[in-house]
Amino acid sequence: MSNIDRRSLVKGSLAAMMAGAAFSRGAFAQSSEPILLGVSGPLTGPNAQYGTQWKQGFDLALDEIQAAGGINGRKLAYQFEDSQSDPRQSVAIAQKFVSNPAIVLELGDFSSPASMAASPIYQRAGLVQFGFTNSHPDFTKGGDFMWSTSVSQADEQPLLASYAVRRLGLKKLAVLHLNTDWGRTSRDYFVNAAKEYGAEIVVTEGYIAEERDFRSTLVRVRDANPDGLILISYYSDGALIARQARQVGLKQVICAASSVYSPKFLELGGEAVEDVHVGTRYFPEDPRPEVQKFISGFKKKYNGLEPDAFNAYAYDAMNMAAAVVRIGGTDRKAIREAFTKVKDVPSVIFGTATFDVATRRVKGAMNAELVVRKGQFALWDGKPT
Amino acid sequence: MPSWSFARASSRSGTASRPDPTAGAGAPAAFLSTRGSSVSSWLDYTINGLIVGNVYALVAVGLALIFGVSRLINFAQGSIYLVGAYIGWVAVVQLHTPLPLTIIVVAAAAAIVGLIIERFGLRPLQNSVRIAPLLATIGISFVLDQLVMLTFSPNPRALPSQLPDVRFQVGGGTIGPLDLLIAGVGLTSALLLFVFLRYSKLGWAVRAASQDRDAAMQMGVDVNRVNQAVFGIAAALGGVSGMLVGMYYNQIDTAMSLQATLKGVVAEVVGGAGNVPGAVIGSLLLGLVESYGVAVFGTSYRNLFAFLLLVVVLVLRPNGLFASARQAPPEPLTGTFIAPSRPVRIPRWALAVAAAIFAILPFFPVSFYVLQTLINAWLLGMLALSLTLVAGTMGQVSLGHAALLAIGAYTSALLSLTLNVPVGLAVIGGGLMSAALGTLLISPSFRLRGHYVSIATLAIGEIVSLVILNWESVTRGPIGISGIPPLSLFGYDLISPSSIYWFSFVVMAVLALLQGRLLTSHLGRSFRAIRDDDIAARAYGLSLNRYKSLAFIFGGFAAGVSGGIAAHLYSYINHETFNTQQSILALTVVILGGLGNVVGAIVGAVALVGLPEVFRIAAEYRILIYGIVLLLLVRFRPQGLLGTI
Repeated sequence: MSNIDRRSLVKGSLAAMMAGAAFSRGAFAQSSEPILLGVSGPLTGPNAQYGTQWKQGFDLALDEIQAAGGINGRKLAYQFEDSQSDPRQSVAIAQKFVSNPAIVLELGDFSSPASMAASPIYQRAGLVQFGFTNSHPDFTKGGDFMWSTSVSQADEQPLLASYAVRRLGLKKLAVLHLNTDWGRTSRDYFVNAAKEYGAEIVVTEGYIAEERDFRSTLVRVRDANPDGLILISYYSDGALIARQARQVGLKQVICAASSVYSPKFLELGGEAVEDVHVGTRYFPEDPRPEVQKFISGFKKKYNGLEPDAFNAYAYDAMNMAAAVVRIGGTDRKAIREAFTKVKDVPSVIFGTATFDVATRRVKGAMNAELVVRKGQFALWDGKPT
Repeated sequence: MPSWSFARASSRSGTASRPDPTAGAGAPAAFLSTRGSSVSSWLDYTINGLIVGNVYALVAVGLALIFGVSRLINFAQGSIYLVGAYIGWVAVVQLHTPLPLTIIVVAAAAAIVGLIIERFGLRPLQNSVRIAPLLATIGISFVLDQLVMLTFSPNPRALPSQLPDVRFQVGGGTIGPLDLLIAGVGLTSALLLFVFLRYSKLGWAVRAASQDRDAAMQMGVDVNRVNQAVFGIAAALGGVSGMLVGMYYNQIDTAMSLQATLKGVVAEVVGGAGNVPGAVIGSLLLGLVESYGVAVFGTSYRNLFAFLLLVVVLVLRPNGLFASARQAPPEPLTGTFIAPSRPVRIPRWALAVAAAIFAILPFFPVSFYVLQTLINAWLLGMLALSLTLVAGTMGQVSLGHAALLAIGAYTSALLSLTLNVPVGLAVIGGGLMSAALGTLLISPSFRLRGHYVSIATLAIGEIVSLVILNWESVTRGPIGISGIPPLSLFGYDLISPSSIYWFSFVVMAVLALLQGRLLTSHLGRSFRAIRDDDIAARAYGLSLNRYKSLAFIFGGFAAGVSGGIAAHLYSYINHETFNTQQSILALTVVILGGLGNVVGAIVGAVALVGLPEVFRIAAEYRILIYGIVLLLLVRFRPQGLLGTI
């Protein structure tokens, strides 16, 4: 895992800027029209909350990009089309975007069925589909126009396993996971890594996203007699499980994946999430400049609201899109090539992000080991809970 | 436990750090034998089942009350529950009201919402076809859910409990005062309603109206007032339950509405539709079955047991577990459920011209976006043809039709991927599998009538989806199937939007022509005879089950082909691709177009795929507008745009 290194960071952003400057002369026709990105994501329907979080992250990044002079004098803007995470609508949106010559790059969709149903259309039309929350292992296999900055679960889960097993010393783990493509893939990577580190997996339980009641599941967990609970959950279900675990009398250490990292997790979980350990990609006191800029900018723009993981993904994605457009200009093929060239883009999640051209993903997510103390996420001090 | 995905993934990439295939060691079967649960665990499972059953009871009682009087499954009940939860949030978090006041505020506000729904949404429809109010409640639930989402944003919120945080040790776990309050509210309201219905004058009027509306009116019962009272009470109860459940989980969000309705409907029907005390017992039973299901097989099988319970109860005791033997049949004997109307006559030449225009459309400079939207409409049109046949012509209103899509899609995808069957044949294979499996699955519910068919098909749809999620060795579970080859015909790939457009248009047109031919044949007349009066039809020697099977075989084929084409179009499917919303959408299309009406199904599909696209400029408001348009259509054309055939 990459560690925070200020020098390489500065160098990286300098390189990106220089590259941008060099390309700008040829690639940009003088125009006052903004450069347009297409976003396909849920604004209504069951996943609507994630679409609104994307918007917050995008808008903050765009404010910063415009303030810094835009893309060589031109503004960057996005057109958000609501797909409800429904594949039927995401394919129509895909046709809409590919046939609109103003759109140079597409971001999204949120769920795998909606995103991957649209992939063939983007691939055939030669418009990059930049799926920044698409952790499905097959997403970037849809074609060479599919790129993703989603943290690969092959990358993230061993970090969580290391936190739980090596650092917290847990030996018998119960894994509760969302039974979606993301949760299932994550679970398998986690289980594999945890075993490698010497832990035993005593029970795994997959639950559907709409589930609210976990009491009976937790009795199963209790009977398996684990010394730690692993939650591969989003913040709302993670908070529910933590609350109900305490209600049914489970006092074991709880360790959760980074997707619960949200102020909502604290709000919804209340006292029950106290002492929950979370492996995350960044944390509020993180001294990295891109993190500080992100958090202070976010709080300022949204009245003191703390950003969460999905805000950060969207913020990073927009910054990456800007870096790519700086190199590739407004030509779709050149933008596809720019993904192979873009280097060391400052990123909240990765520190600096560079694509692995073979997998079209980014490796080397940052790692922070947090714990909830007094209703706040804090860096874990190494003390047992 | 087969773990297909990794075997496949590693064979492709060959990287070293892949998880080993034994990662799925938490297989339910393994736990069944190796991990004996102690007696105290079973006590805990029982307690937990009762606790969650308690929660379901609150919704089920409201549904039962409304069903008892109006013979209507109120799909808006979950939305009222949602509204109640958010009003509770405003009261608790913003106004800091004490609990008793909060309950009164929520009950009053929700009751007002209920009265508005009754007065403006449902009362204008009381003399129209029986199916119209059902569609209206679906439209109302869209509108209410969207209003809440727009007002409060879709982010989940915490709804703190206002009761002291004391926990009582029961078994291995604890229960809190909220558990007791929820149980108290559920039981008290059921008891009060029981007393009200049995001993008060208005209660008698309610029961009289539920047994025979017209007779009650002749006896001087003000049926509208009865309906008002019922909707007010049910809505107040729904609102309070939403608030209490929100406090119970310390979490409210806009997605809670549909789940609440689904579980409430299951509990209510298990207890006997319209039977208030039965709804409470049905809810507790549902909670117990789910809890024991989790105990024995694992969490991912939980809802499977809920819906299996429903199907078993429906098949063995269609009036619910607690119906008395003398109870009158809950549905009318003859087909007033789907009233015939005069269909709009469209001249043949007009249809031919319309078909010709759509056929040559790709030659004109229309954007790929328009073509893709129409492809979606043709695919939905095939599903609607299928549903309009079984629901409209045959009278079996199915709420689980997305399952047929899923069966067709998975069959076609797996045939072409694993057996290298050419895509054209694989799609036909998907249609055949859907016809066979769909008919087999639905056959136990052939003896049901009216709403019960809808509920049974709803359950079967959910069961199919859960089986797809859990049967990993075949369906690849939640990981889904990716890399499905594109459509092709005689060795030519159909990947350009125009060629996919023509392909789906031609397939739909052929299916539509066949179905039109069928309707005018002897077979079509037999179908309608069964729909209109199944006793008379039987007296004339028609075998009901055989004809129902024939309708489902034909309908299953059309839906399966639609699903198969969609799978190859999307290249990736998983258990979420064909969800309950798709079933509800299909039914909306069919009712909108006119039940049994072939042209209507296609017109409805174009309208319901097109409208949300047209409203795209309205961004977040588009589903709200869509819901309002739907309500207006139901209000002014309850027999559908083109009328029932």
